[in-house]
Amino acid sequence: MNTTVEVLGFAREPGWLPWAVQYFFLIGISTAAFFLSLPGLVWRHPDWRGISRRALLAALVCGLTAPVALLADLHQPGRFLNFYLHPNLGSWMAWGSFFIPLYLLGLIGYAWLCLRPLLAEMAKRPSPFAALYRKLAYGGHDNPSAIKAAALVATLGAVLVLLYTGMEVMVVQARPLWNTALLPLIFAVTAMTGGIGMTALFEALTGNLKSAPLLNQWLARGVWLTLALLVLWLVSGLLGTSTAAHEALAATRASFGWLVTGGWLVGSTLLTLWLARNHQNSLVMPALLALHGAWLIRWIVFIGGQSLPKMGSASQSYTLTLTPDSLLGIVGMAGLCLALYIILTSLIPWDDQANA
Amino acid sequence: MNAQPDLSRRAFFTALPAVTAGLAMPAHAADETTPHWAMLVDTRRCIACQACTMACSMENVSPEGQFRTVVATYAVTDQAGKTGLAVLPRLCNHCEEPPCIPVCPVGATFKRKDGIVLVDGDRCVGCAYCVQACPYDARFVNHNTGKADKCTFCSHRVEAGLLPACVETCVGGARIFGDINNPQSDISRRLAAADGKTRVLKPEAGTNPRVFYIGLEQQLDGRIDGASTADMMWRPDTQGA
Repeated sequence: MNTTVEVLGFAREPGWLPWAVQYFFLIGISTAAFFLSLPGLVWRHPDWRGISRRALLAALVCGLTAPVALLADLHQPGRFLNFYLHPNLGSWMAWGSFFIPLYLLGLIGYAWLCLRPLLAEMAKRPSPFAALYRKLAYGGHDNPSAIKAAALVATLGAVLVLLYTGMEVMVVQARPLWNTALLPLIFAVTAMTGGIGMTALFEALTGNLKSAPLLNQWLARGVWLTLALLVLWLVSGLLGTSTAAHEALAATRASFGWLVTGGWLVGSTLLTLWLARNHQNSLVMPALLALHGAWLIRWIVFIGGQSLPKMGSASQSYTLTLTPDSLLGIVGMAGLCLALYIILTSLIPWDDQANA
Repeated sequence: MNAQPDLSRRAFFTALPAVTAGLAMPAHAADETTPHWAMLVDTRRCIACQACTMACSMENVSPEGQFRTVVATYAVTDQAGKTGLAVLPRLCNHCEEPPCIPVCPVGATFKRKDGIVLVDGDRCVGCAYCVQACPYDARFVNHNTGKADKCTFCSHRVEAGLLPACVETCVGGARIFGDINNPQSDISRRLAAADGKTRVLKPEAGTNPRVFYIGLEQQLDGRIDGASTADMMWRPDTQGA
């Protein structure tokens, strides 16, 4: 067999930058956190009442931040108008431009309906914002039927967002790491573990530790499912039943960097599982590891997937730089999440006392 | 009554169908003779001088470090230990089934009747979905415009009756451009002469490229398992201009 050395190669830089990682991470977490808000706020399950309130906060914080990353990735935010002026409905991305507002409008409506009684209560308290609370409360009625209807719209939007974010990446045959039917499932399941992680983090921040066993129980289930999907992908690649997975493994097998990345992913996932199972009363560490896992999967898929050469042998390794579309973008998104968290928690109490 | 006007009128009405048919015929004939542009790359004639790369960059004002066409160069060693140079001029393949078109969320990428795949810069949002979908790494997001960019077969030159810049400049005559709908064109005759000896990149991708190669080794037609001297190559983004 001939051996080849690429003397002069031309590797393209990644087309999807860390903005994409941040968007897929945040929107996935938001949808998952929204689902976690349903047991307590729609079905009024007492065990979930507090968790669901913090989950709603997580859904809002991440859901309102995510589209900013998407707009930033367009290089000129005003270009988003073309998605609605010239939609190509054969493209999953075009459908996404309709699913995102559907989900976010549903989520905001649902959140408002859930918070109306609390806003009316806030209006009665002496506060410079009392008039604002009164207007926002709009009577302050607790309307379970309206909440269910809004939750239905948001659920439809959330499911469609999870569907399109997975399919959009999966259909790219040119990227072997992406072109697997398991990818939408992996994205959905890790979104769920990330959503649990973000909710658990907010639980810890508001000092509600009693929900830890329940959250860790669900986190462990999510991590088991993630591991199962990763093993399934690996087996399909090793056995050759998935051509794309086989090709992806062939492209990465000789790379020490990929070996370390795979080891880090599996190791941190196993550590998350161990913590969730053996330290059920712990919130912060399992939460941070769950968020780390959800983010890492997306980083590996997007940034790692684009580093594999389509042509020739030259790979394009990505390095973080102090530029807006790199490290500053990641920090900026985290900062926006923090700002939204501060604003929302300053205006509205999200702890269990608020339910009283 | 003078019969002359009657005759003229009769002659006019008699001739009318023929005139209208005649007017319609050239239009119909034009459809049949719409060119379908393609390129044949004879790698045996390529010396990897990168003159095409430079001509394209000058013609299309590509940003520094971004190229619409390149000539990838390989040192291939056979089992007997003999090493030789192999080249692969690369550009947009103007596929018959371009995977970049269906993914574009705003329909900015399209294929013209003459086979050229183009990007409508006014409509493109720079989402880079087409960049991901292209199996040949032919597309990139232009640093200056923030929009998708790629080889256009120099459509502006072709429309003016000129050859693409890379073809015009190729010192070895390795790039042959022309109309594959015209059996008398140079490219059609060369494709016919090389019947069975031409290859396309990644045929398994099912894109049906319109850039054909003579002398292309199968080993080089996609991702290559081999070493890369990429770390040694000049990269404006990392090593400075």
